[in-house]
Amino acid sequence: MKNKHLLVGFLLLFLSFMLVACTDENSDEKDSTDKGNETAGEKAPNAQIDPFDHSEKYTITGMTFRFGDPPPLKSPGLDMINERFNVDYKPEIIPQGDYVEKSSAIVASGSMPDLVGFQAGDTRFYQWAEDGAFLPLDDYLAHYATLGNIPDYIYNSFKVNGKVYGIPRYSNPYPVTPIIRKDWLDKLGMEVPTNYEELEKVAIAFTKEDPDGNGKADTYGVAIGENINPSFNMGTYWDFNAWYHQNDDGDFIPGIISDGRKDLVQFFANLYKEGAMTKDFAVLDWASTNNEFYSGKAGVFVGGVSGMSQEYFDGLLSINPDAKLVAIPPFEAPDKSKGFTMGSGNSGILALNANLAEDEGKIYRALELVDFGKTYFPAEEKNPQNADFDFYLGKEGTGYNMENGLPVQVPTFSSEGLSPSTYFLDNREQVPEDAKITYADSYTLPELKEMTASLQEMFETSELYVDPSHGVLSPTNQEKGTDLFQFLINEQSKMIAGQRPISDWDALVKEYLAKGGEAIIKETNEGIKSKGYTERQWK
Amino acid sequence: MFKSSGWERVMEIFNNILLLLIAITMLFPFLYIFSVSFSSVSDVLNSDFLLWPKEWVTDAYSYILGSDQFIRSLWVTVYVTVVGTFVNLVFTSTMAYSLTRNIIGQRLILFLVLFTILFSAGMIPTYIIVKETGLLNSLWALIIPVAISPFNLIIMTQFFKGIPEELTEAAIIDGANDIQIFTKVILPLSKPALAAFGLFYAVGHWNSYFSGVLYLNDPAKWPIQVILRQIVIVNEPNAALGGHAAMLEALPPPETVQMAAILLATLPILIVYPFLQKHFAKGVMLGSVKG
Repeated sequence: MKNKHLLVGFLLLFLSFMLVACTDENSDEKDSTDKGNETAGEKAPNAQIDPFDHSEKYTITGMTFRFGDPPPLKSPGLDMINERFNVDYKPEIIPQGDYVEKSSAIVASGSMPDLVGFQAGDTRFYQWAEDGAFLPLDDYLAHYATLGNIPDYIYNSFKVNGKVYGIPRYSNPYPVTPIIRKDWLDKLGMEVPTNYEELEKVAIAFTKEDPDGNGKADTYGVAIGENINPSFNMGTYWDFNAWYHQNDDGDFIPGIISDGRKDLVQFFANLYKEGAMTKDFAVLDWASTNNEFYSGKAGVFVGGVSGMSQEYFDGLLSINPDAKLVAIPPFEAPDKSKGFTMGSGNSGILALNANLAEDEGKIYRALELVDFGKTYFPAEEKNPQNADFDFYLGKEGTGYNMENGLPVQVPTFSSEGLSPSTYFLDNREQVPEDAKITYADSYTLPELKEMTASLQEMFETSELYVDPSHGVLSPTNQEKGTDLFQFLINEQSKMIAGQRPISDWDALVKEYLAKGGEAIIKETNEGIKSKGYTERQWK
Repeated sequence: MFKSSGWERVMEIFNNILLLLIAITMLFPFLYIFSVSFSSVSDVLNSDFLLWPKEWVTDAYSYILGSDQFIRSLWVTVYVTVVGTFVNLVFTSTMAYSLTRNIIGQRLILFLVLFTILFSAGMIPTYIIVKETGLLNSLWALIIPVAISPFNLIIMTQFFKGIPEELTEAAIIDGANDIQIFTKVILPLSKPALAAFGLFYAVGHWNSYFSGVLYLNDPAKWPIQVILRQIVIVNEPNAALGGHAAMLEALPPPETVQMAAILLATLPILIVYPFLQKHFAKGVMLGSVKG
């Protein structure tokens, strides 16, 4: 009996401690972020300070994600950065797969670093910026050669409350779009399709007419994986991600509930029935989807002008030495529009901690570091004669070697930290708008060069749709967007596999609108209007 | 009818075949991993072999073992497993033993332990504790926060309770103090229990990866499972991005390399396992019946 009382008493005590602890922490956090916000907002840059004065040494911390292996914590490359910028630089580079969890833990533990990286589409950036966790950068950018020359429309696409809170990680404006096996088309005497009916015919022919000529029925049309990804939109009209279609009130609606998407789902359902697309698409991860295509099983997939894997392409060539890939140009839509959707202009964002507002000199130094990491070197300057470039890759003979006039990084440049480049949180060069780049130059495989050239030519001769929803914040979308997206994708997957009739489409859209889609559309359109975007824009 | 020897024999043959089939299905994944790791990339892409490499290639292994990272991380894991298991056993057995003695607040302490089974603090509070105690970026961060598993502690308490009281009393009469009773009487009698719990803990340490990612900033200190995850787990692109160029960044190395890494990371614990298995099976019964 006595024990029981003790237990209950203890439990109550414990609970009350917990409550006190929780409320305390919350109010503390709020206080500090509010303060951060005030100081950040009120202080204007001090004209007295020389942004490039290196007399004082600063400790600069940072964290970001990396797709490959992170470099070591002590290395020659890091020493070079510390010496050049007179800093004690402590970057924490975290594997991409664990980044969201680990960075959340670091921030929640109260030690947000000076520089914080976000992946494209990470909504925490917007939430934290609204909470005042980041420094507004508008007044500082002009000092820097690279940061100051990034076009406004790119900064605009992720402004929060009218202010720039981050530096965009470069992404070329060209989207990832469908590509097709030209050698198979030639074998079957077919042309590159120009509309979905033709594409369907081609996909079925790839399945039934043995395009690789090995006498076995081991090929099919379209390689597709979970989440109906890639989406194989042959133009913005069918793009699930673009806000292009308008409802009866003239408001833009998300592509995933549009008529174009319905047509596309119908197209996939037809393919599925004929076995002309990946059978187990609903459970296939991204790497396996790539394997379907690069193992010579499927004939239609997606490609981009940059970021293609030579390793995978090599694998395909070892199986089908004649493999030839070409871009499929956009189809003409029922409303006569033609063209793909332009990218958002960034593949991630780097933000600065609001606490930096206390020390102007540190802001300048941190930004200088970021600016240098993003420097664009034209092809003719990528050599040891350019001192900055030589520094960036860790000096010729150590971090890289010149071969046939091109810099080739040593294999251990990152794993042993030989190149400073690997330590910049954002080390994507920011290609200027007017730079003439031949994307094919970055590859050595002739077949891959050819494909890249065909994609680049296609993009340069066609228009790209400017998605009005970029940089527009919808609180409902932040709260429910991911779940609603998954809900629609799951239902549409069922329609493709024939488990739910496509005649249910209107019911599905209604359900989406009722579950929060209505609010998302309303909020997003308010944002679009306040940006001054009224007519559809193509570039 | 079932008593006839003919039926028995049929049943026996049937059982054997069934068990053999089940055993084969268990072996299949290992054989597959083994074969893929020794095949060439194009054979794998082509699905050009069935459970046995068409031609033997060791490219995948030279790729993995080519950098010292893999070997280094294997040593880290061995270190954490050996030291960690030792720490686990010392702390779990001493605490379990003291909980079997009549000490003040014994029930309260037991309640506190039970409470953590039901309500654990979660990732962020634990991270804060590790950070504030200065364990971040030290291998001890993989050992101290998991020094005592409450579940194992309670089972071990039950096991100690099963040791006849008379033995302890006899030791007291001989003039032994608590520490002597524990080290000279209780522990020698508990060898099978220690072996079983040691195995539970060791496998846990060997397989743990997330604390490695969370608490260690220096890639040089990462245990093998973190490296393995880097090699094997696909960085799934964010599907909501649609045709974003970032989709193309997220591709893992070829399957042969993945499988070779899995094999190398599993092999050591696989080799140790058969020798400890008899204790493992015994351990499952621990504390279930009180003497």
